[in-house]
Amino acid sequence: MTETIIRNATWAIDGKKYDLALSTCEGGKHPQLDGITLTGVERCEPAGGISVPAGAQVIDAGGKLLLPALFDMHAKVEIAGRSKRESVNRTGQAATNGGVWAMLVMPTRGFCFDSAPNLDSFRDAVNQRSSAEMYAAGCITQGMGGEQQAPYNTLAARGVRILSDAEHVPANLLTLHRVMKYVAELDMVLAIRGDVPELTRNTCMHPGATSYRLGLHGTPACAEEIGIETLLRLAADAGARIHIQTVSTAEGAEIIRRAKAAGQRVTAEVALHHLLFTHEDVGNYDTNYKTLPPLRERSDCEALIAAVKDGTIDCIVSDHTPCIPFAKKQDFITAPQGMAVLDHYLPALYTHLVKPGLLTWAELVRACSTAPCGIVQPVDEYDEPRVAPLMLFDPAARSTVRAENLACGTANSPFIGTELCGSVNLPLQ
Amino acid sequence: MKPRKDLITIGSLSDEEINTILDSATAMKDIFTKSVKKVPALKGKSVLTLFYEPSTRTRSSFEVAAHRLSADVTTFTVGTSSVVKGESVHDTIDTLMSMKMDYIIVRHKNSGIPDVIARHCKAAVINAGDGAHAHPSQAFLDAFTIREKYGTVAGKRVVIIGDILHSRVARSTSTILQRLGAQVAYMGPGPLVPLQAHTGIPRFTDWDAVFDWKPDIIYLLRVQNERIDTPFFPAGDYHQAFGVTEERLKIIDDLDLGIMHPGPVNRGVELCDAAMEYRNCLVCNQVENGIAARMSILYHLTPQTQNND
Amino acid sequence: MGAIGASEISAAICGWTERIAAAAEESSERLAVIGLISHGDLLAQRLVAGLKARGIDALYGAIDISLYRDDADMRAEKLPLRSSYLPFSTDGLHVILVDDVLYTGRTIRAALNALFEYGRPARVELQTLADRGGREVPICADYTCFHIEPEDGREVRVRLVETDGEDKIEF
Repeated sequence: MTETIIRNATWAIDGKKYDLALSTCEGGKHPQLDGITLTGVERCEPAGGISVPAGAQVIDAGGKLLLPALFDMHAKVEIAGRSKRESVNRTGQAATNGGVWAMLVMPTRGFCFDSAPNLDSFRDAVNQRSSAEMYAAGCITQGMGGEQQAPYNTLAARGVRILSDAEHVPANLLTLHRVMKYVAELDMVLAIRGDVPELTRNTCMHPGATSYRLGLHGTPACAEEIGIETLLRLAADAGARIHIQTVSTAEGAEIIRRAKAAGQRVTAEVALHHLLFTHEDVGNYDTNYKTLPPLRERSDCEALIAAVKDGTIDCIVSDHTPCIPFAKKQDFITAPQGMAVLDHYLPALYTHLVKPGLLTWAELVRACSTAPCGIVQPVDEYDEPRVAPLMLFDPAARSTVRAENLACGTANSPFIGTELCGSVNLPLQ
Repeated sequence: MKPRKDLITIGSLSDEEINTILDSATAMKDIFTKSVKKVPALKGKSVLTLFYEPSTRTRSSFEVAAHRLSADVTTFTVGTSSVVKGESVHDTIDTLMSMKMDYIIVRHKNSGIPDVIARHCKAAVINAGDGAHAHPSQAFLDAFTIREKYGTVAGKRVVIIGDILHSRVARSTSTILQRLGAQVAYMGPGPLVPLQAHTGIPRFTDWDAVFDWKPDIIYLLRVQNERIDTPFFPAGDYHQAFGVTEERLKIIDDLDLGIMHPGPVNRGVELCDAAMEYRNCLVCNQVENGIAARMSILYHLTPQTQNND
Repeated sequence: MGAIGASEISAAICGWTERIAAAAEESSERLAVIGLISHGDLLAQRLVAGLKARGIDALYGAIDISLYRDDADMRAEKLPLRSSYLPFSTDGLHVILVDDVLYTGRTIRAALNALFEYGRPARVELQTLADRGGREVPICADYTCFHIEPEDGREVRVRLVETDGEDKIEF
């Protein structure tokens, strides 16, 4: 087998240039840079440090960035009306296109991870059809109904480490408290978002000038914040490890900051769209900007970015949610929430966060790759930890997002028609 | 006025379009005084009223307007059953379009539905009220009524009173009045009057502030307990706190202010009985003008259903 | 391009008024001059004023026939409606319907429909400032000042002092 040498690649985190010799066989020991294992690499030297042996294949990576592929710990794969296999296949391809090597899949109606058969059929579909790794988040309650607890021991035995009912929040605190005790006992992580359903029923966007103009009922920020406080108190009491999903408000981040300072074992995530867009983007009922929680104020975006930078919020997630065109063509109140952004995930992160200087590459790698991987702790079939493969990213490339070029199978992306910078080369060879 | 297919909000109209529709409403009203109260302008055209929310008054106003323009009117009763069955609005519209309707007048509890329908079909779509979003025909009849009574809307000061937050009438009527040069203020129970930062409209929470503002017209919104899932109004004291009581009517009379209300009036809640007999009470004019305004709206819209499809 | 100037128009309206005056003296019915908005109403005003100067009292009316047109939905632009001014019943009157240019005749058909909704006149005559031919319905004028044959397709435009600053017919 011929050796492959990558020359002049820029390590995204420190901006220095390196030459890499890729491994010719599986396994073995890999070098590290900045504490990140260089999967698939045999040697790594400063640029010019590796002489090219005769017959070796050389990839000139001048101008390109080298970084670990991303781990997206909040995505949905189900596409309404498509088979499981096709849904998995399309979403896996979209993830690979967007620089994501693995994702934590949230349960949905058609991918309801509340039993062994459901998990097994998902695993089969992933093994056969997906170009990206997919790990299932087990349901908290049967059918995500919020009442009967799912079979946690069975799920744990199938390798499930994270429990989540996706966007659903059990309304009953007693149920939640009991769930947390199981989570603590089984050393799992409960991934859940803050919400008080009584306060958010019949609402669909952030309250403000836009919701007033459109005559839509507002989702108060305090509902999410009270929800987060409640979750933290319950988790502290039960000794459970929780992960707060899709934080959307400045105060929500602040509550988590305080809990972390007090030593509570909690992690948190923010969806990319909550860092970029505001409620004003809804414009004239643009259902592509309907999300859950809703898009909020510019000041929230800024506070959330600051929370990512200081580590209060551990991860940025895609919250990828494919919605078929018909669903999004309905009125704003009836239309489902969610955006499908995996296809252009890293270019969007780069164009809107790294390029304008809001996040450094080091922060992006931490929030989008190492931190989520550390929370989910994916393992292979031999129970060995899995680490991110490397990818090359060309920041000079530019392309306009076109609906017809998306692998994910739906067109509910706010980036369609916009120009994004960067192209992903994953896998490396 | 350039051909326009739909009327969804006041905000989407140009000043020229607003004025054209208002001007024509005057001519439409003249038709009522003739022995033959009908003109053939929409002869052979089909008008459908599609009301997902019950409303006898708005619907019959539109129906009379359509009849006076010689259109054929079909009333589509939306049974709660098809809504419960989960039939999407798109499916309903596809069914209706196969009946070759030229105009669809729609009311729905969801804000934004008329917009969805308008984009989905070639018929001219008129929003007859969607959620808390817009009620443009009400806005036209209100502006028309003020113009008829005072000669002009420009420079008038109008206070809209009641549950502003959930009111599509407040949104549409304040928009048209502002576009025509009037000044608008809101008054109502605190939690139901949105922040000025969200609306750009001064907000009051008591009558003293209203009178201090020196309005020309007091516009009372209907208290609609049926549309609010959880009680918003403190029990019992709405009339005393926010209604036109007999004492306030005396002040209103002294100041020669006009009184308007979109109807139907809850007597003893928004207005005391005597207010209905008050010389400047324009509520009946509003009802009559509603027909003229709606005739004008129907006349000025252009369905795209003419090319055999 | 042809044109008819102010002096010719003025003389023509003068002759037109004389003709109506002569007819009025022989007629037993009350005379009403009703113009079609817009332009026809202005001509009707001039005629009524001219008749008054000759001691003949004729009723003046104006009607907007937009709502009676059979081609309303095909028109690209819809102008604001104007209020018809017909403060009397037409029952038993001798009505002279006045328009600026007679062309396809569809406008007149619509005007007749509109007119009959205000009562039952004893007699209706159609008199126009100009006739350019090209009829699409069987209607002809009882009196016309100018017969114009514009080069094919050319529009005939009437300008009047009251709205356009000058009296002129262009074709």
